Amino acid sequence: MLQEFRYAAPKSRSELLGLLAEHGAKAKVLAGGTDLLVNIRSGTIKPELVIDLKRFEDAGALTWDPAEGLVVGPATTINDLLRDPRVRRDFPLLAVCAHDLASYQIRNRATVIGNVVNASPCSDMAPGLLCLGARAVVTSVRGSRSVPFTDFFTGVKKTVLAADEIVERIVVPAASVGTRGEYRKLKRITGHDLGIVGVAVARQNGSVKIGVSSAAPVPVLVAGLKDSNTVDEAVAATLKAVSPISDIRCTKEYRLFMVETFVRRLWEETK
Amino acid sequence: MKTIQVTVNGKHYTRDVVESRTLLRFLREDLGLTGTKEGCGAGECGACTVFFDGRTVNACMVLAAEADGRTVETIEGEAKDGKLSVIQEAFHMHHAVQCGFCTSGMILSTRELLHSNPKPTVEEIKDGLEGNFCRCTGYQQIIEAILDASGQPVGEGGLKHA
Repeated sequence: MLQEFRYAAPKSRSELLGLLAEHGAKAKVLAGGTDLLVNIRSGTIKPELVIDLKRFEDAGALTWDPAEGLVVGPATTINDLLRDPRVRRDFPLLAVCAHDLASYQIRNRATVIGNVVNASPCSDMAPGLLCLGARAVVTSVRGSRSVPFTDFFTGVKKTVLAADEIVERIVVPAASVGTRGEYRKLKRITGHDLGIVGVAVARQNGSVKIGVSSAAPVPVLVAGLKDSNTVDEAVAATLKAVSPISDIRCTKEYRLFMVETFVRRLWEETK
Repeated sequence: MKTIQVTVNGKHYTRDVVESRTLLRFLREDLGLTGTKEGCGAGECGACTVFFDGRTVNACMVLAAEADGRTVETIEGEAKDGKLSVIQEAFHMHHAVQCGFCTSGMILSTRELLHSNPKPTVEEIKDGLEGNFCRCTGYQQIIEAILDASGQPVGEGGLKHA
């Protein structure tokens, strides 16, 4: 059984932001619920109010703005992303990350923004979004601000979001169209599982970026590499940027070993 | 409490629900539709798979309150006029059911898979049903049933002789 809470499904963005401003940390926003409802059930979190954001206008929008790029709304699900022909054509790295996230039914509910707002170190969307230079548009009754994902995560399950703020949309820049990339995730089983480590390698116009999940308190971006770098240099830069721990899924040493292994494999595969 | 109006298997219901009630508990305990099972309660096993506005979801991770104005389909809606669906027939034929606990979810996930991909390969079947665990039949008979239900020769991919 879930512990008791009140439920609100505001019909407009301003109503939602007003509720969040009023209730702050006592409220939790419900998007796909695939983390929230599990955490409420386990007693990890005990919100007094659950605010469903799927009923406000355009919440599930996934649109293209030639000036900005791909705009992902707060209720856009992982499978919405995967079913979008533009995403598959122009942002294949996002599609690869999305397809590796959980199972089919969960992808029908889980949202792209939920996956980053939860700020799990093993977020599958974060490595791709970091490599593509995406940013979060963070909104509250106080106004809006734009936060690049390199500045978004502040610790394990911690972000720059204040208690009254939501990520209203993610913008993946139009300039990243044409990026070639791959994402590889180590799991305990072939089917759906949380990642033990995940590595994305993305190449565009001679520059190379590497995104890593589950190998530091926050998802990590290694920028500044070029096609002209050697794979050993890429491995060295990545290992310097990560700081994995030993936990229930594996040891620190195994994580470091697999980060290196995936960087080496993907460096060649994406050439 | 919150009053919700929801259509389940084509039938319209108006019910008062406690806000924290899951869709799964609502279906099983308030509507008596116990074909949908609770396995893990955390989105791992898929025993509680139902259609929610035309897409499969884990009903243990949906609030009944979210279903207000929405459409839900459960395993009880699979057979029409007392006649098993093609997928149910195939599961029956191929002994894809042992204890039956995963079967409701397996059948609904199969319907979703065949809707978007009418002739899936064995790999595509495994991928489409990755969110549904079976702990007793083994997956081979389930895969054979799905191949058969999609009009493909059973044995493709070496299943018969694996």
